[in-house]
Amino acid sequence: MQQELEACRRERDECLEGWKRSKADLENYKREEEKRVSALVKFSGESLIRDLLPVLDSFDAAGRSGEEVPEGLRAIRGQITGILNRHGVEEIKVSPGDPFDPSEQEAVGETESEVPEGDVAQIMATGYRFHEKILRAAQVKISKGQTNE
Amino acid sequence: MGTTNSAMAAMKAGEPSILENDEGNRTTPSVVALNKSGERLVGQLAKRQAVVNPAGTIYAVKRLIGRKFSEAEVQEDKKSLSYEIKESDHGGVDIQMGEKWYKPEEISAMVLQKLKADAEARLGEKIDGAVITVPAYFDDSQRQATKQAGEIAGFSVKRILNEPTAAALAYGLNKKTDEKIVVYDFGGGTFDVSILEVGDNTVEVRATGGDPHLGGEDFDNKILNYLLEEYKKQEGVDLSKDKLAIQRLKEAAERAKHELSSAQETEVNLPYITSDENGPKHFTLKLTRAKLESLVEEFIDRSVKLVEKAVTDSAPQGAGLQLSDIDEIVLVGGQTRMPAIQEAVKKLFGKDPHKGINPDEVVSVGAAIQGEIIAAKEEGRKPEGEVKDILLLDVTPLTLSLETLGGVATPMIEKNTTIPTSKTQVFSTAADNQTSVEIHIGQGERSMMSDNKTLGKFILDGIPPSPRGVPQVEVTFDIDANGILNVSAKDKASGKSQSVRIEATTSLNKEEVEKLKKEAAEHASEDQKKKELIEARNQAESLAYTAEKSLKDAGDKVPADVRTNIEEKIKNVREVRDKDDTAAIQTAMNELSQEIQKIGQSMYNEKKEESAPEEKKEGEDASSETTPEDDSKSEHNDN
Repeated sequence: MQQELEACRRERDECLEGWKRSKADLENYKREEEKRVSALVKFSGESLIRDLLPVLDSFDAAGRSGEEVPEGLRAIRGQITGILNRHGVEEIKVSPGDPFDPSEQEAVGETESEVPEGDVAQIMATGYRFHEKILRAAQVKISKGQTNE
Repeated sequence: MGTTNSAMAAMKAGEPSILENDEGNRTTPSVVALNKSGERLVGQLAKRQAVVNPAGTIYAVKRLIGRKFSEAEVQEDKKSLSYEIKESDHGGVDIQMGEKWYKPEEISAMVLQKLKADAEARLGEKIDGAVITVPAYFDDSQRQATKQAGEIAGFSVKRILNEPTAAALAYGLNKKTDEKIVVYDFGGGTFDVSILEVGDNTVEVRATGGDPHLGGEDFDNKILNYLLEEYKKQEGVDLSKDKLAIQRLKEAAERAKHELSSAQETEVNLPYITSDENGPKHFTLKLTRAKLESLVEEFIDRSVKLVEKAVTDSAPQGAGLQLSDIDEIVLVGGQTRMPAIQEAVKKLFGKDPHKGINPDEVVSVGAAIQGEIIAAKEEGRKPEGEVKDILLLDVTPLTLSLETLGGVATPMIEKNTTIPTSKTQVFSTAADNQTSVEIHIGQGERSMMSDNKTLGKFILDGIPPSPRGVPQVEVTFDIDANGILNVSAKDKASGKSQSVRIEATTSLNKEEVEKLKKEAAEHASEDQKKKELIEARNQAESLAYTAEKSLKDAGDKVPADVRTNIEEKIKNVREVRDKDDTAAIQTAMNELSQEIQKIGQSMYNEKKEESAPEEKKEGEDASSETTPEDDSKSEHNDN
């Protein structure tokens, strides 16, 4: 009888332990899930926004084409960037003469320039940030200084 | 630790999960650089300045680690590497970065150090142990060097794990007995095939093969060249020198490749790609999956031949087996998402390959699992994920539902819900002064209760007479660990309750379950239409009822012509309701809704005439459609 009682007690303890563990797992999971969901919601637009970037590139290309860009086209670009801003997307601000910063810029080439060597000479494509994440680094050409005549 | 990119994973809540680095990315470029100011950059930052600092940017170190400088592969790679390498004192490779020379393991350690720091930040705790993966063909020297890289980075390297073995682990194939597995790894820069043998809780590598210079990048380049040629044909313009155009085309080529994994056709559309003396030029081209497949056919064929060779060549070059000896195939590497590759592999072996896990991450996932196994052993416990196996929980194989107004089967417990579990919902009555409700319990996946199996029925009466939709009847479905279902219904007002106990709801024949699920899938669209019709009818009746009530309540405040109009519309709705045209019912309802708004308007207008002029309010819909409860037993309001 004593043995049976012991066995029973052990089994009960195991069951209790298992139950507590399951409960704890569930509670921990819920907590992690909450974090995951809020991260998901925050970045949920990411893939759509990434897919839209080439559209903005096309607008920028239009601007560079040398052809007179209708005011309307500029306004449309503004419309799109306005919407993106409201959703947490920002253009990365770079100008010629800025120091090169690989945390938000990508060097795609070098070019002669009055700008000091090693600094940004030309912006080739706009970069975008989504909340704290770099969606696409700004594509820039680095100055190699000026060669003397 | 990949040639181009590295990834890391850890067990979180019993599941292996990829850890993002501090830039928020799931992979980190295996690149290190020293910029002109003497600053060291690692990962994405190093990659971003590679173009302007080719001599100071170190990449593809995996091709050099643990090798002798004199080896043929090293000499070959030396020709294309942008940085300097030389022979070290011990015959190995020394890499020049800035003024100093480094061993490959020191460079790899820098990448690992960053991953360690990022992982510790993500997980919020210190990490000391790591499992690092290497190709199956790595020799002792390469493995040792990789281990050292880990140790330099501050890890206690618990295991150097073969990449194909990690992939097999990720799919749980290590639990199989006496099986032969092919791992087909088509990454960005290299193609590797490994033949594994699994048994007795061990995984053995029988043979390896592949091409270290064949990868997804070759596909991208082929597509890019095709686009450039097509454009030349179309417009007579050569874009190959236009850096910016190339960049856009490259990105478009990659996107197109991804899209064609799920679509048959895609369009490459790049406005303002360039301009000439005539003005701006644009690029549009349709690319079909068939065309893509023909462009990359040679690469896929080459990979298939290499697989065949690895399987059938006699040992030690190959595994000395027949293709039919292979039991399982695992796909690794982003490129394997391409349907043509999956088809080619399936055709070769006559079986479907395993591909459920993200192919870019499957090796890391496997490494995390191995890490957990080792950690568990060290700590004297069972690995997470296995403990769960001791207490096996059942699931309910088919959906359990309640019949609601119109014969609709309203799901209460969805199929594949883990049991024990309980679900409660509040329902109501369909008609005024309805004093009893019938609880009809069904099992199955069809939308109409008549197509499902009846498990039980009972009646709850004694509900105090009230207008329809007012009573609150709480219905609970409770399944215990043995699969016994208890359904109870309780009227909240009177406190009266009734219940029924149903045995063996989970002991269904597997084939039967599959058959029923298949039937449901086949009838899915017609079931859906039936359901929509019923719901429309329910809504129509509800609307008609509310309209009548509103008219009654408003009394003679409603002008005669408005009243007549509304009564006509109500009649119309009731007539259409009995027919089978869901759309017609919706139309009739909308017309009635519009008319009903005039009741409210009339009432406000009257008020206005009575009192001094006040602000004119927006006409409220005096007859709000829904009853307080979210779900009525009889009204299926879809809010």
